[in-house]
Parts: sequence; C-alpha cells; structure tokens
Amino acid sequence: MSLRVSRRNFMAGGATLLSLSALGTSAFAQEKRLRLLWWGSQPRADRTNKVSQLYQSKNAGTSITGEFLGWGDYWPRLATQVAGRNAPDVIQMDYRYIVQYARRGALAPLESYMPAKLNLDDFDKAQIDGGSVDGHLYGVSLGANSAATVLNTTAFKEAGVDLPTQATTWDEFARMGAEITKAGKRKGMFGLADGSGGEPLFENWLRQRGKALYTADGKIGFGVDDASEWYDMWAKFREAGACVPADIQALDKNDIETNTVSLGKSAAGFAHSNQFVAYQAMNKDKLALTNYMRIKSDSKGGHYRKPSMFFSVSAQSKAIDLAVDYINFFVKNPEAVLLLDVERGIPESAAMREVVAQKLDENGKVALAYVSGLGDLAGKLPPPPPAGAGEGELMLRNIAEQVGFGQLSPADGGKQLVTEITQILARG
Amino acid sequence: MSNAMRTPAGAINVERYQGAVAEGRFRRVWNANAPGYLFLLPWLIGFFGLTLGPALISLYLSFTDFDMLQSPRWVGMANYVRIATADPKFSAAMHVTLTYVVFSVPFKLTFALLVAMALNRGLRGLTFYRAIFYLPSLLGGSVAIAVLWRQLFASDGLVNAALSQFGIEGPSWISHPNYSIYTLVALSVWQFGSPMIIFLAGLRQIPQDMYEAASLDGASKFRQFYKITLPLLTPVIFFNAVVQTIDAFKAFTPAFIISGGTGGPINSTLFYTLYLYQEAFGNFRMGYASALAWILVLIIAVFTAFSFLTSRYWVHYDD
Repeated sequence: MSLRVSRRNFMAGGATLLSLSALGTSAFAQEKRLRLLWWGSQPRADRTNKVSQLYQSKNAGTSITGEFLGWGDYWPRLATQVAGRNAPDVIQMDYRYIVQYARRGALAPLESYMPAKLNLDDFDKAQIDGGSVDGHLYGVSLGANSAATVLNTTAFKEAGVDLPTQATTWDEFARMGAEITKAGKRKGMFGLADGSGGEPLFENWLRQRGKALYTADGKIGFGVDDASEWYDMWAKFREAGACVPADIQALDKNDIETNTVSLGKSAAGFAHSNQFVAYQAMNKDKLALTNYMRIKSDSKGGHYRKPSMFFSVSAQSKAIDLAVDYINFFVKNPEAVLLLDVERGIPESAAMREVVAQKLDENGKVALAYVSGLGDLAGKLPPPPPAGAGEGELMLRNIAEQVGFGQLSPADGGKQLVTEITQILARG
Repeated sequence: MSNAMRTPAGAINVERYQGAVAEGRFRRVWNANAPGYLFLLPWLIGFFGLTLGPALISLYLSFTDFDMLQSPRWVGMANYVRIATADPKFSAAMHVTLTYVVFSVPFKLTFALLVAMALNRGLRGLTFYRAIFYLPSLLGGSVAIAVLWRQLFASDGLVNAALSQFGIEGPSWISHPNYSIYTLVALSVWQFGSPMIIFLAGLRQIPQDMYEAASLDGASKFRQFYKITLPLLTPVIFFNAVVQTIDAFKAFTPAFIISGGTGGPINSTLFYTLYLYQEAFGNFRMGYASALAWILVLIIAVFTAFSFLTSRYWVHYDD
C-alpha cells in the first residue's frame, strides 16, 4: 500500500465535502420557485414545459420545474412525496383521487382566489363542481373528455362493414364485429375488443339503465342482475366471435400501447377521447372516434363530459399565490392554451375553446367534434368515486377474466362482483 | 473468512487490547479502531439509516392504519388478524409465490449445475462462455427483458411461431391464467448465471485425484458424479439453494411489468410482493402493507431456518 492518508487530511477532506453540500441547498432560495408533478407521455411534457418557459419569460424571477411519470408510477410517487412533507406545489390530480387527497388535508382550497386571481367565469359550472369537494374548490379542470370507442376505419372498410353511428345498439355492434371476424381479412384480427372488464364501459351501460357504479354517498350503485346481465352480454359476444378471446384481451394493460386496436387484434376498442391523438400516432390505419353503443335505440345518458385531469395546489406549498397564478395562466392565457392544444382534453373556458378550435389539426378536431357532439348520449357528471374505487375497477376486470376463461358463469360472476365490491367499500 | 482474522493489522489490535489498563482502556481501544470505523462509516450510515431504521419504522407501522396522508393510528394486531383470517388475496398471492419458488429454484439450480459442468471440462475460451452465460443474470431484472418476454410468449410471439412449425397452435401464454406463471418461471430459470458461477468455482475445488482413483476402480461417469461430485458440492448447492429461495420469494419486477401491475390475468401472477405493493401504493394501506411485509420476512426466516436445520443431514463439509 503506497497510498497513505493521515487522519487529519481525511477529516479535513470530509469537512470540505460537508460544507460544499450545505452550500448547494440555499443558493437559489430567494427566487420564486414552483415545482410541478404530472403524469403523461413525452409529448405532454414538451407542451407543459413550453408553457412553463412562457410563464417564466413573462414573470421575471420565477423558476418553474416539472417532473412527470407514467400513470402507474405517478400515484406512488405523489403519495410518498406528500407523506414525506415534500409535495410538489402544483399537482396534477384525477377525478378518482381528488376526494381522497382533499379530505385528508393534502390539497389547498382555492375558492378564495376566485374570481380576481383565478378566473373561471366562462367554465362549465358542472366542471367546476367536478373539482369541488365538500363545498371547496380543490382542483381546476385542465380539459374535458369522454369515454369513446376507437374504430379502425381501414379494417372496417376491408371487411365491407359500415361504421357504427350514434344510433347503433350493442347487439348491432356485435353483429358488425362478428362480420369483421368472419371476413378474416387480417390474420388474428377480431371485430371488437372484449369490454367486459372495462369500467368506463360498464358504467356507461349502467347509466343507460338508470343505475350507477357508485351512489353519491359512496355505496354500490347496481345489483346482481345488472352485473350478471353485463357479463352475460359479453359472453354471448365472445361466443359469436364478435370480440377477441379472453387470452388476447388479457394482453391489454389498460394503456394505449397494449389496447387490442394498437396490437392489431381488433378493429374496434375502448378508450378516452383525449387519447385519440396518441392512438392515431401509434396506428398506421385511419382511426375514428365514436360513442359507446346504446342498449336500445332510445336509451340515453350513458356518457358524460369528465374533467380529464385537474391542477391542484398542495396544502404544504409555501407559494400558493404563485401556484394559483400559474394555474390561471395555464387555463386562461391564449398563448399557453395554444401550446397545450387538446392534449389534456377540450379546454373548459369557452373563450379558450374558440382560440384552440381555430388552430386545431385534423386529429384534434376529431376529439373536439366528438366531445361536443354527444347530444342526448351524454348525461350528468356522476359524483366522484369513493375510496376503494380503484380496487373495484380491478375486481370488475378480474371477474370478467374469470368469466372469459370459463372459470365462472356470468350469473355467478355478477353475484361475486356485487359481494366483493360491497366488501371493498365497507373496508374503505 | 478465517484467513482475514489472522492479518497483521488484527494482531496489532489484539496486542493493544490486551496491554490496555482498566482506566483509559476504552479510549485506547477506540483510538486503535477508530480509523476502521471511520472507513466503515458509509456502510454503517447506510445500514442504520436506510435498512435498520426503515425496517423498525415499518414494524411500528404494521400495528397502525397509516395511509401516507394522515398520521398513523394504533390498531394493535388488527392488520395481522385480517391477514390470517379474512384476506383471500393473501392466500392467492401466497399460492402464486410458493408455486414460483417450488418450480423456479430447482429448475434454475439444475440448469446452472449442468451448464457449470459443461464449462468445467477444460474448454478453450472459458472466460468468454462464462461471460456469455452470465449475461442474462445481469439483464434479467431489467424492464426491457420483461417486455421482451411479453413479445416471446404473446399470442403471435416467437414461441408460438416455432410451435406452428409443428402444427401446434399455442394460446397467448403470457396472458393465460393457466400458463402465465410458468412463463415467469422460465424467465427466472434463464437467469441461471450467478448460481452457475458459484457452482463452477465449487467444481474447481474438487480434487482431480479423486476422479482418477475412481476411474481406476472402474466407476462409471454417472457413479463418479453421484458419489464424488454431488457430495463434495453440497455446501455450494446449499448456499445457492438458500440464496435463490430468498430471491424467489422477493421476485417483483417481472410480474409487475408483464401484468401491468395488476397481477392478472385472474391473480395468476399476483406475487406476494406485487400484492404488497398494490396495498401500499395503490390503495394507500401502508400499515397493512407493512404487516404483509413482516409476514414475508417471517416466512423467509422460517424457510431459511428449516434449510439450515436439515442441512446437517445432507450437506457434507470436509472437516
């Protein structure tokens, strides 16, 4: 060993390191800083960062940093940061979680900033209510979307099948699906995705029957008959070859990349309208958006315009004023709104909607036209789902798979779903 | 290990220790050993700050209803009682994990031993082959490989393409509840590199003259393997089995990536750790998840203790 370090040298080196690291923490303290956190893909990040840069250029001395993750990783990260007293100032929030976070005191109420600092005058009233919990505003909607059917129009045309219209019923749609499967123009492609485990589909179908997933007081909103009939309908579709078999549907990880339409396994699949741009980018064929089907030709009100996501402000934030100003800029500044396009959904502000509409490209127009053209298919926004709704969603899918793989009859599946969800809700 | 104790540095310490008088004795020992602790400091900070500390906190949390947003509330044994009596998902997850352990560990060890024996025959370019066979172990835990596995075993994946040559039309293995767990077992067996390296080192230590003597006496190759190789290798087999079993209990990434975090289809890939993760970060039940984690620690401890207790009946140490 030729290297010799005396204790004094070693300690001195350590002390230098320590003092250096201490310096790093306070160098930028006097600047006005905001931290953002959101889920989404790279294109969303690019748009968001451009808005932040624009905001900084207009507000000297501010510094906005952002971080983004995929949906699945986002919630653990956010929960960990909130628990660690290290929450970001501006939090992208979902309808599913806003009640949980708001009731536990993690979010700052924003209604006192209205209308002077946060001007939501030309927002849809229902969408403001969607961001409110117990009479306080906790989230500003960044855009509206609705659940939607994605159609591969090229595959429909090849099979010689007409596209569904707003009047199409589920039975008719299943016949179309079976025809596409039977035409067999593409190897391994079926007519429809198997939607039996899809929560938005099930909810839409329940609403057309005058039921709901959950009631306003957080109870289960449907019965055994509803659930059994639902599973039975899809079992018949599966049998008729209208939709993909269970082992193909199980490839779907509930994201754009693994949806059976993107995998080339089905000509129709189920998604959300604001995802259309991403779907089209991923598929070579020409895609289109349409609604979820009607149960009977006169059933209505299954759809609703949903705040696709919110910006909320952390209750721990030391810069709530700045955060509110940034959010106001995000939803009301024409330049910012143009940068954001309809990637997070259709802007809620009527004025901003017009600004965006003039500059939209073809794919953006599809989503806008779809959401604004729902007519009597759309009903009221349901109350925010209770805690445990995430588990309920997994349970719907789990049992749909058991029915799909023939391990359960549709009737038993319906019974089990109601029992399990009742238990989940009781546990909270 | 025992060699390290006899280093000169150790000897000096012992002398100083013995020479110390009662008063100032601690001080002198401390003076002698302080540099050692100083160099250990990064590890000590890591161990107490990042391992032991959080572990103890999680033990405390397992008796609470901590949900990450509100401060924890003491609930006594409630979490453990629920795990033991009223949680069907716990038994489902336990079943999946045990299936995985029971299939992946023996297959992986057998495979690793076979490859190690093949490589132990004085092959030219041994280091090259060793590196090649070790590669999957380096890559195996990664997200990319889990994604690759999806492609291999999906309905129109490579495996089914190969099967179709023989006129067999396979299902989508990775998304079929009857087969999905075995695709994950295959993924684990494929990462046989690290037990293989250890086996190889073990094989190298078996004296060649034993084999020479055995062949002179007319023992067949199989008999030589059975009577010489296996018994002398048992300490290494034991070590590999314990380490791989613990690893298998803790498997998480493959199932998380392949099922998109759901453990589906129909809970068929709901590994114990995945269920724990869902409870902690999906449903915000950090207290309950902590209890699940401690149950897992207990189960692994029982398995390991059992291995050590039975080891004296089948592991041969040459002393």
